[in-house]
Amino acid sequence: MMKPELSWLDDPQTFRVNQLPAHSDHRFYQSEADLATGQSRFTQSLDGTWQFKFAKQPSERPIGFYAPDYDRSGFDTITVPEHIEIAGYGRLKYINTTYPWEGKIYRRPAYALGKDQKGEGMFSDGEDNYVGAYLRTFTLNSELQNKRVVIQFDGVEQAMYLWLNGQFVGYAEDSFSQSEFDLTPYLKDGENLIAVEVFKRSTAAFIEDQDMFRFSGIFRSVRLVGEPKSHVQDMRIIGNLADNMTTGDFSLKLKLNRQANAKGNVKIGITDADGESLFNTTQAVNDDIEINHQMFPNVHLWQHTDPYLYQLKVTVQDEQGKVIEIVPYKFGFRRVEMKNKIMLLNGKRIILNGVNRHEWDAKSGRVISLDDMKQDIKTFKENHINAVRTCHYPDRIEWYYLCDQAGIYMMAENNLESHGTWQKMGAVEPSYNVPGSLPEWREAVVDRARSNYEVFKNHTAILFWSLGNESYAGDDIAAMNAFYKEHDDTRLVHYEGVCRNRAYEDQISDMESMMYDPPKEIEKYLTNDPKKPFVDCEFMHDMGNSLGGMSSYNDLIDKYPMYQGGFIWDFIDQAIETKDEVTGQTVLRYGGDFDDRHSDYEFSGDGLMFADRTPKPALQEVKYYYGKHIN
Amino acid sequence: MANTSTKQVQIIYGDATLGLRGEGFGYIFSYERGGMESLVQHGKEWLYRTPKPTFWRATTDNDRGNGFSVKSAMWLGTDLFLKCTAVAVAVNDQPIELPISPANNQYSDHEFADHVTITFTYETLTVPATTVTVAYTVNGSGEINVSVDYHGKAGLPQLPAFGLRFMMPTPAVRFNYDGLSGETYPDRMAGGVDGSYTVDGLPVTKYLVPQECGMHMQTKQVTVVRNRTLDNTDHANHDFNLTFKQDGQPFAFSCLPYTAEELENATHIEELPAPRRTVFTIFGAVRGVGGIDSWGADVEEQYHISAETDHSFSFTIQGV
Repeated sequence: MMKPELSWLDDPQTFRVNQLPAHSDHRFYQSEADLATGQSRFTQSLDGTWQFKFAKQPSERPIGFYAPDYDRSGFDTITVPEHIEIAGYGRLKYINTTYPWEGKIYRRPAYALGKDQKGEGMFSDGEDNYVGAYLRTFTLNSELQNKRVVIQFDGVEQAMYLWLNGQFVGYAEDSFSQSEFDLTPYLKDGENLIAVEVFKRSTAAFIEDQDMFRFSGIFRSVRLVGEPKSHVQDMRIIGNLADNMTTGDFSLKLKLNRQANAKGNVKIGITDADGESLFNTTQAVNDDIEINHQMFPNVHLWQHTDPYLYQLKVTVQDEQGKVIEIVPYKFGFRRVEMKNKIMLLNGKRIILNGVNRHEWDAKSGRVISLDDMKQDIKTFKENHINAVRTCHYPDRIEWYYLCDQAGIYMMAENNLESHGTWQKMGAVEPSYNVPGSLPEWREAVVDRARSNYEVFKNHTAILFWSLGNESYAGDDIAAMNAFYKEHDDTRLVHYEGVCRNRAYEDQISDMESMMYDPPKEIEKYLTNDPKKPFVDCEFMHDMGNSLGGMSSYNDLIDKYPMYQGGFIWDFIDQAIETKDEVTGQTVLRYGGDFDDRHSDYEFSGDGLMFADRTPKPALQEVKYYYGKHIN
Repeated sequence: MANTSTKQVQIIYGDATLGLRGEGFGYIFSYERGGMESLVQHGKEWLYRTPKPTFWRATTDNDRGNGFSVKSAMWLGTDLFLKCTAVAVAVNDQPIELPISPANNQYSDHEFADHVTITFTYETLTVPATTVTVAYTVNGSGEINVSVDYHGKAGLPQLPAFGLRFMMPTPAVRFNYDGLSGETYPDRMAGGVDGSYTVDGLPVTKYLVPQECGMHMQTKQVTVVRNRTLDNTDHANHDFNLTFKQDGQPFAFSCLPYTAEELENATHIEELPAPRRTVFTIFGAVRGVGGIDSWGADVEEQYHISAETDHSFSFTIQGV
């Protein structure tokens, strides 16, 4: 059995240990009745109260706390999901570009200044690397017993080690992607003891330098999932269009996980939104099942104004014909392509009336509720916002489903931002940039691209993959692009850093992307025989009382077909609701308000919405201009 | 101005003030305070201090980012401190000798006119200095036409704002206006929908750092409603109001509980003092808010306010 090593925190080449491969985010149910309720008996939530011990640094952590006989009487409690900082153990901190240890600790990323600069101990012995030890017990629900059982962590920031019943299970980084581990070998009858050790920092800190409050902990849901003996492990749905733009071109790849070579049938059916059947087939259970280029004449297209979805249903039966798993997935028929240097959806020029959206709730930070998401969709619809960039990390899985249903064009971005390694006090200075072209960092970032693709690949709403934000450009980001190009010819790839290092412009982005370029500069680009269409991945910086001059951008839409709109920065202020220490009234606080230094203070608030989801006065202007090009 | 009233306004040639009164109104203009000191309609006082030209707006994040407030900082000083350097009076458009003692001894207790104009000249504390005149013309129905003129001067930095600020003694309970929905600025008003709107209370937009807010462009008229005075004998709490109307061109205004300087000093909204007054400002020039970025990009040029050119505006305060 593998022994966990603290040194993994320092090594950019170790970012997943014993993690299961990423796969599509499909849900699965035991029966039609479960499907109807939306409650899968195959899942068992581990959200709620966990035992918790906070340690200021690795050397003070409770070593061996995961052992069943460890004395845990001194443990406190914490809620899952919740940030360790919101719970009051760690200090709240906001910072934009520079690293959160600025002015306190000197760090350079491993290998960035030479092969021998390995950064040993940088995080594993980091005085600012606080640790949360999480523990709880569970007993498997009857539906999960005698099945293969995996555990899913939807989001843990920033590095985690996992034990079950005292045995080491695995390790994960990438705070914003789901981490999944097979618990089956370690499970026992009755009560099981699960332990997670969460470190605030690891080498991931260098590539998770997003402009945001810096949190840690288990901040998204955790669940157990039991898998039936024949289980759809992964699916790839392609709902494309033939050249005539009216015929649906459907393909499906299923990967089954079969225990003991289980046999049976797989029924695949497609119905339209009224429940009318379009297609049915039954195939024998197999490791791989494919349907290739099944054509459907005159399909109802998916687009923002009419996000029509078809229902795919995969039903797995055992040898006796008993249903053992039902996998539903709604998908749309739509076609994304580049033609004559213009990006098209269903043959028509795409105009992006977009916003960048951080996940935010004033009370709980990046722990957001389904209600928050639904409200955001409602705000989008009311204000003609048709596109969202998931800045700068994958969001909660539910958000992608909501965007499919609401017809919100998604730029699905990887969890990547390293601007602190190349942008210093506003200047481009990439002397120790990561990932750059460093081979030691390549797999970590390509893995993030893979996770983003594998989990979300079936979402109709995703028109663009985005490699990340403000991470400069080098071979490693080119490798991320190559991953997408290899796996998905139904979408385009975006990367903002294309404008930062022109040597890579043909290898990292299908479109020209800039942020905050004044309209006049954009016009210069557009009138100078441009190679690619232009997208403002961030524009109209809505900090405080702002958003003036939008008409100048709107004019570009009408004048230049290759100008395809953009994403306003950003959707919602990041500020934390707390009690005023003087009056006791409920107030919203920003960077620097928690004695957190070095800070970028009120720069955390650039939203169209205030942090409590009330709209800023500028929103009516967005509604007006975005309403001019509804598409 | 055209006098449409058949009534006459009574003139009180005081030793320190010029009083103008009629049925249901009484106005006092102070030579010492350099402006209109009292505006009473139906027994209710509308002024806390004399209205003054205003030049500053609370720094927006965009202003801070592009250094605008640093470049234009001298306007903050003159927004706080302003000298009244001259007062002139005209009766039925005829200038008269300034009617202070002993020149006012020639008058009686029954002096009337169709309309009276009193003009205050203010000198800025900028380098170089320039002047602003504010002329009030009052007729027999108590209607006040206010005309404000800024005289451009080469070498002065751009203006953050230009308007006339009224401080009212108590907070308004609401204001109604005919104009654009929401808050609008010259470079952010396309989304404003023309209509009649009511704003309850005196909301300060809760930007993380308090800043310029609450502007309403293209307004035809606005009515400020209060229900309290500072008069110790006045225990009524029924609504009373004052209406400002366009004179030719629509105007811009904001109605807030704080001055630009009060907003400027706060790093959080909860630091602002309890609302005690109404700060009602009519603007003759409004700087855009910008939006390209918040760390250097300026407001687009056509939405700047040059201090080197003249700016004039006028409006009417409705009579009784």
